[in-house]
Amino acid sequence: MEKWAAVSVLLLIWAVSASMLAVYYRSELSALNQRLSASAGGEGEYVTVNLGIGVQGGDVTWYNGTRVKKGSTLLDVTAQVADVNYTVYPGMGAFVQSINGVANSDPYYWMWWTWTDWGGWQEGPVAADRYVVADGETLFWYFEDASQSPLPTPP
Amino acid sequence: MRVGAPSRRAAVIGLLSALAIATNYAMIGIPNVKLMDSIVFLAGLSLGFADGAAVATLTWIVYGFLNPYGFVPTIWLATTLGEWLFALAGSLSRTLPGERKPPVMAALGYATTLAYDLVTNAAFAVTFGLPIWAALVAGIPFALLHELTNAAAFSLLVPRAEAAVLALLGPGARGGRIRADRL
Repeated sequence: MEKWAAVSVLLLIWAVSASMLAVYYRSELSALNQRLSASAGGEGEYVTVNLGIGVQGGDVTWYNGTRVKKGSTLLDVTAQVADVNYTVYPGMGAFVQSINGVANSDPYYWMWWTWTDWGGWQEGPVAADRYVVADGETLFWYFEDASQSPLPTPP
Repeated sequence: MRVGAPSRRAAVIGLLSALAIATNYAMIGIPNVKLMDSIVFLAGLSLGFADGAAVATLTWIVYGFLNPYGFVPTIWLATTLGEWLFALAGSLSRTLPGERKPPVMAALGYATTLAYDLVTNAAFAVTFGLPIWAALVAGIPFALLHELTNAAAFSLLVPRAEAAVLALLGPGARGGRIRADRL
């Protein structure tokens, strides 16, 4: 009897977990397809993005019209215009440690933002190596005090 | 039903809270894998809901305010009240007949953690103005890790730990719920 109970519980846990994973990966696939569709503009094999890099209360540098291959991630774009160091956490993505020699130092961290028509600057929803850039998109790396809530938006 | 002398109960509440806090900090580098939920469930199971909720609240007062990931009041409130679910589940489990079967404990751990994750992820979405559905879906990998590890912890640790806690509470706590040969 106890064996059957154990098997039933294991099957139940497996069924619920598998269903949740299916929903998650369906959602991830849908989001990735959306990003790839958005990057379908541009010229030939390339898309153009505007990337800003700035320090809270300090200098801001813009790399407007940066051309990268379609399907490139924000991390690819950043590595193309700046010296970037990062650590990859399996399952979560790349955590940027420093850009152009400016390294994370608690409570200051590199956070990334994307410009939207509907709400101005929005905090990046995923790790930089998981975000496929779209043609004409404006992105920003902001070295800021991450202990503040809500986070300060880029200038 | 309240069990054990008040002084012993107070001591066990303090002991379990300290254990939950210490293990939380010890395991802070492993996101979503903690023994706190099992300990709060254990408190509800062996002491009742009110005392289990006290362990949950005391733990979150310390761990929530002194947390390297920061403090956000609404998230703290959601996690504290969400943690009460484990105390409630433990308290309700006291009426289950027979001994603590590992499969039953695993199912309880999984289901209660699922409810906790839904509550806290929804609170996260509301706090940061995100669509609730999107936040729930994005949190699935972390929630699954939490649920599966809690299912394992509940099935492996809770039955043995309950016997130990009831032994601490003294003879009056046994009350036929736990056989003497398990102590």
